Amino acid sequence: MYELKTLLPQFDIKLPTCMYELRNVSLSAGATPGPAVSVLFSSCRSRATENESNISKSVNCALDLDILGRQIQHLLKHEDTNAVVERQEKVLKQLEELKAQLGQIRKSLGVRVCGKTFQHTTAYQNGGLKEEPLHDVVVNGHPNFIPYALLALKNAWRDLYTIDVKTFTHSTMADIGPAAHDFEAKLAKVAVNAALPKINVTLIWKNCEHTEMISSPTMYVPIYGEVNIIRYLGRVGPNEYRYESSPLCNEIDAVLDICYQLLRCSTHKSQVAMVRLLDKRLQQQQYFGGDQMSVADIGVYSSLIRMPAITEKDLTPALLAWRKRAKLITQI
Amino acid sequence: MVEEKENVANAGQEPVSKKGAKKQAKAAKKAEQKAENAAAVAVDAAGDNAADHAADRYGLYEMIQSKETRSERQFVSVSELSNHVNDKGLLWVRGRVHTSRAKGKQCFLILRQQSSTVQCILAVGDVISKQMVKFAGNIPKESIIDIQAKAVAVPNRIESCTEQLLELFIEQIFVISQAKAQLPLQIEDASRPENADDADGLNIRVNQDTRLDNRVLDLRTPANQAIFRLEAGVCRLFRDILTDQGFTEIHTPKIISAASEGGANVFTVSYFKDSAYLAQSPQLYKQMAIAADFDKVYTVGAVFRAEDSNTHRHLTEFVGLDLEMAFKYHYHEVLHTIGNTFTAIFKGLRDKYSREIEAVGQQYKVEPFKFLEPPLILQFAEGVAMLREAGIETGDEEDLSTPNEKLLGRLVKAKYDTDFYILDKFPLSIRPFYTMPDPSNPIYSNSYDMFMRGEEILSGAQRIHDPEYLIERAKHHNIDTTKIAAYIESFRYGCPPHAGGGIGMERVVMLYLGLDNIRKTSMFPRDPKRLTP
Repeated sequence: MYELKTLLPQFDIKLPTCMYELRNVSLSAGATPGPAVSVLFSSCRSRATENESNISKSVNCALDLDILGRQIQHLLKHEDTNAVVERQEKVLKQLEELKAQLGQIRKSLGVRVCGKTFQHTTAYQNGGLKEEPLHDVVVNGHPNFIPYALLALKNAWRDLYTIDVKTFTHSTMADIGPAAHDFEAKLAKVAVNAALPKINVTLIWKNCEHTEMISSPTMYVPIYGEVNIIRYLGRVGPNEYRYESSPLCNEIDAVLDICYQLLRCSTHKSQVAMVRLLDKRLQQQQYFGGDQMSVADIGVYSSLIRMPAITEKDLTPALLAWRKRAKLITQI
Repeated sequence: MVEEKENVANAGQEPVSKKGAKKQAKAAKKAEQKAENAAAVAVDAAGDNAADHAADRYGLYEMIQSKETRSERQFVSVSELSNHVNDKGLLWVRGRVHTSRAKGKQCFLILRQQSSTVQCILAVGDVISKQMVKFAGNIPKESIIDIQAKAVAVPNRIESCTEQLLELFIEQIFVISQAKAQLPLQIEDASRPENADDADGLNIRVNQDTRLDNRVLDLRTPANQAIFRLEAGVCRLFRDILTDQGFTEIHTPKIISAASEGGANVFTVSYFKDSAYLAQSPQLYKQMAIAADFDKVYTVGAVFRAEDSNTHRHLTEFVGLDLEMAFKYHYHEVLHTIGNTFTAIFKGLRDKYSREIEAVGQQYKVEPFKFLEPPLILQFAEGVAMLREAGIETGDEEDLSTPNEKLLGRLVKAKYDTDFYILDKFPLSIRPFYTMPDPSNPIYSNSYDMFMRGEEILSGAQRIHDPEYLIERAKHHNIDTTKIAAYIESFRYGCPPHAGGGIGMERVVMLYLGLDNIRKTSMFPRDPKRLTP
């Protein structure tokens, strides 16, 4: 090999003192192990000379497995690992102390420590992209197709998550009717708990064809259909209701798809057919997909309210029992 | 037709050339002669000396000097004609000649009354003579006439008139007030719909200055009739709604001794041996009325701004709708009152003035005004966040520039689908010194702006009602406290906390209807370049 001139000027570079010193682990075969190895980064000059010597010594056997194995064994024997463990414990202890200190400061300032802090979840399935939920969405709904799911979710998440719904009437609607007024009153009844993580929903009664959700007109397209809004809220809501990573994901989606179709059925006959499909999905389970309430139950429950044509006669005993259970949680 | 072309050509220039004036005089003389001596004209034109058997059925009516009451003549308005179709008796109608053309033995005449038009027919027969048809055909446009006629239903709709299902068979016709034969602008041109993309349609327009120079004619177009009726509606609704809520209307002086809002932008008028200023806003007087225990007040009156800005939305004199209100503990009491007043005005316009809105829409194609009830209230910081999301760089304490204001309007419209919204909590640094700072965050203030179609129409705030604090804030703004001593003094005898705001009436009407220029909504606008008519 050609010999290279040292390009760096011969200055003493002062390294920051906040860095840990690490031992040089890449020992060459002939080098004597132990404290003889000088500390890395102590000065540029020494490193440069050391590298030179290292390279010259290990030139002929850079990838020799024997040497590598010897090095690893040597490392394991050495007390270095113990030192690392000790250091880690020390750091953990310091962190505990810091936490206690901060707690005291907070107390003295009178800042309330939230019981639950909102966590931005990192979805591992989509390659670790950080999902940041939008905290401010607009839902446009027609008073004839009231999005009961909002109220159902609000009630079901009472102790987990706050959906702060503000209602408005668009100028295209002269009168929104008693059902919508009643719905507004019920929404307003659920108290807003400031300590919980929350999402602001602006519900606008509007003469529109579909229930639609607009989050940010410049960045995202609207989401159409009540069921899809439930899906969205299920993704940003409390962990208990996030279903994407749950094994029941497919089942819940299937049930929500049936709801979507159910809401588009115009004849009683086709509606009943959809209800039968739902019954098949439910079977003898407590809730759709298992023993836990999920967004699927919210979807089915709110869809059934919107279908006054489906009476108790059309529902199977299993569905009726489920409806009673769900009613305790959704409270509509 | 030749005459018409000339009119169009002359429409732009008010002083007609010498030749033109001569021509006009000649034409007028001719017309006069014709009209006064109809029989003679008939002889000239028709070439027969037949006696006019309808001589007393038409002509120029003598100048009405209230000599006779003529109470036997029952007049019917054009819009109510449809109730009198096929009545046995004859009806009297007074209106303007919109168009008139004689064609052989027939004359078609369109009679206009405000925004309503009806087709009239004269046909030579037992009642009507040739001379009468000729006379009717020669009445100049825009003349006021009285007709006696019979309303008859027609089989096919008449597309060119508002009364499409009937026409009038004229039996008598008298000219009450004759218009000049040549008009500086044609009503048809002035009321032609603005279809930018309709390449086939006639493209004759009347420009803004010609319209304003001949405002009397211009105001006769259906759109203008509707605009000013709607404007009256805005004022009426404003008064009614606030009166219902316990507000008292007050009148404030317009000649004042000191500039109310800063020194600039005031008109100076000579006041005997001294000089005075024209009021820029009734602010101080509203606040004094509050301090004088009127609790809730509003005022409707002229406001003067000596701003030399020639934009689509600035006038030097406009009508201000101002209100001020004492509140108990939080200025949002006032904010909600103002917001709800707007919503009530919009609803009133939507429900009671739909005809006017439609009439304006016929000429100026615009989207109907959309709003939410209750009104949407956003925080200034939220607005800034929306702008940033759209890629605009703007500071936390920076005022909204006009383009940003418009963009924010579009963003809000896209998200909430409303043309009206309120922006609350503006930065303190961009508001006047008398604005109350926000108690929880010193960079913001208890102030608000309201927007229609992305343009600011109201700016208001909680005012400082504590004299000492007011002095402190004034000093902070480097304002000479001696100059505003009277203002500060008015708070020394106890004053309830209060807030308010002022609206420009013309701007509200312009933005409600979606018009592009504020001069369209001011009957006789005043701007830096126009003092007449």
